[in-house]
Amino acid sequence: MSRGKLAIVGIGEVATGWYPDRTEWDMIYDTCIEAIRDSGLGKNDVEGVISVNPMAQPKLQGEIGFGKVPEELGLKGCKDICIVNAGGSTTTNALRLAEHWIQSGIAKTVLIHHCTKHSSIPIDEAIRFFATAGIDLQWEYPFGMTYNALIALSMTRYMHDTKTTPEEMASIVVALNKWAQLDPLSMNRKPVTIEKVLASRMVTTPLHAFECNRLGDGASAMVVTSPELAKKLTDTPVYKLGEAVRYTQATITQRTDREGIRKAVSDAAKEVLKEAGITLKDISILELYVAYPLGIVNLLEGLGICMPGEAGKFIMEGNTSPGGKLPVSTMGDAVGRGHTGSGVGTATYVECARQLMGRAGERQVPNCKYILTNSAGGSGMNMIWSVFGRELK
Amino acid sequence: MNDYNKPLPVKQPWSEEFWKGTKRRKLLIQHCNDCGKNIFYPRKYCPECWSSNLGWIESKGTGTLFSYTVTMYGVEEKFMADLPYVIALVDLGEGIRVMSRLVNCRHEDIKCDIPVKVVFEDMTDEFTIFYFEPA
Ligand SMILES: [Zn+2]
Repeated sequence: MSRGKLAIVGIGEVATGWYPDRTEWDMIYDTCIEAIRDSGLGKNDVEGVISVNPMAQPKLQGEIGFGKVPEELGLKGCKDICIVNAGGSTTTNALRLAEHWIQSGIAKTVLIHHCTKHSSIPIDEAIRFFATAGIDLQWEYPFGMTYNALIALSMTRYMHDTKTTPEEMASIVVALNKWAQLDPLSMNRKPVTIEKVLASRMVTTPLHAFECNRLGDGASAMVVTSPELAKKLTDTPVYKLGEAVRYTQATITQRTDREGIRKAVSDAAKEVLKEAGITLKDISILELYVAYPLGIVNLLEGLGICMPGEAGKFIMEGNTSPGGKLPVSTMGDAVGRGHTGSGVGTATYVECARQLMGRAGERQVPNCKYILTNSAGGSGMNMIWSVFGRELK
Repeated sequence: MNDYNKPLPVKQPWSEEFWKGTKRRKLLIQHCNDCGKNIFYPRKYCPECWSSNLGWIESKGTGTLFSYTVTMYGVEEKFMADLPYVIALVDLGEGIRVMSRLVNCRHEDIKCDIPVKVVFEDMTDEFTIFYFEPA
């Protein structure tokens, strides 16, 4: 399917934060140029540009979607552009499209980038967007449904079934925060404790404010190419070694099969490991973009790393934190890093590359060889696993 | 009743009958006359067999609470007057799951799997919404 047909060779990123004084284009310039310089390519060597759709910003979407990036940056060798949207799984699809462009000869080198600037969205527009994105206008919205409530509904049932405690759930935020504390690109670096999580405002039971996302501004970029060209460009290419996916459902009322998501996670994971020719034991890091703590629980249990109902304990014991036996989400996911819309997905791949390139600073996981990444769109409409590694086996 | 300022359901042609039903205090469930499946939410074609031979059955209006959340904060202005309110997922006896609100109960008494029954509330002259309360 996708084994060893694409390599990440350059990355660029601005720290997630709140930048009312910076424009979107200011961040796009900085991240894209950083990634291209990092790749060793010249500006006119980039043959394709694929942008992650900034869903909450229609104006920027129009500018990017109609081809402004190569023109602004002066990428004279660019042959084509495209804007991609699949919610949280957008960047995964950008990588798929890039792989197709590279393999078919449409473009030998592709810039993938993202920019979201929540601070520039008028507050009423932002509220309306987040109130209705992914919420069914007929069967959910009239009841006062929100995205937080959607996660809370799954969490209530999960905690009821498994007797997972609020402390165990809160420890997930603490584990992510420990990574964020080590990450100069993260926005929420202030130390958090279980007590602080549980003392934060109850948003919608059992979900506390610290378990929800804090919106931020952010941008990141990466340059990808064929493995052949990658070897000539850099000593630390990051190869995509496999990918597998399952679609689940878009709407929570359709998730009546208890095992549905767990099975989707498990089936796709088996496939991706087989394609990459490795086992779970070979994985150095799980880079998961799930946005809410419950997602990590679902994935750890779906992978079979924890028995159903035991992921909370596993995380509370520190296994996924810095120094733990299975590092999870080394930039702290959206909770730690700050939520930049679909951009958390881009940042997750950039972090994956950073770790495999050995450039993750204080967060560097020693002897990092293989990373298993997960992305999903909407409230888990799909479950996509990818494996990245330092070597083409 | 016309001062209702919260969002109304955005209907599809094949869900008209459902909302006519709630006006008459009936919870209707779409039913495939070919494969026999009960369908929620209403579709143009049966999602199981693609039949267009679809009809409606009346739900007994009873079920169990699959899950719930008491929303206290972080909603659009138009819902603020309702806070705190309880969003519910209800498994109806007819084998489908619906989203709704749980009303007429003390929050501390709510638990997963408690029996619930449907109640109706007029939103506008056109729309009547369905909620649930402990049975
Ligand atoms: Zn049918």
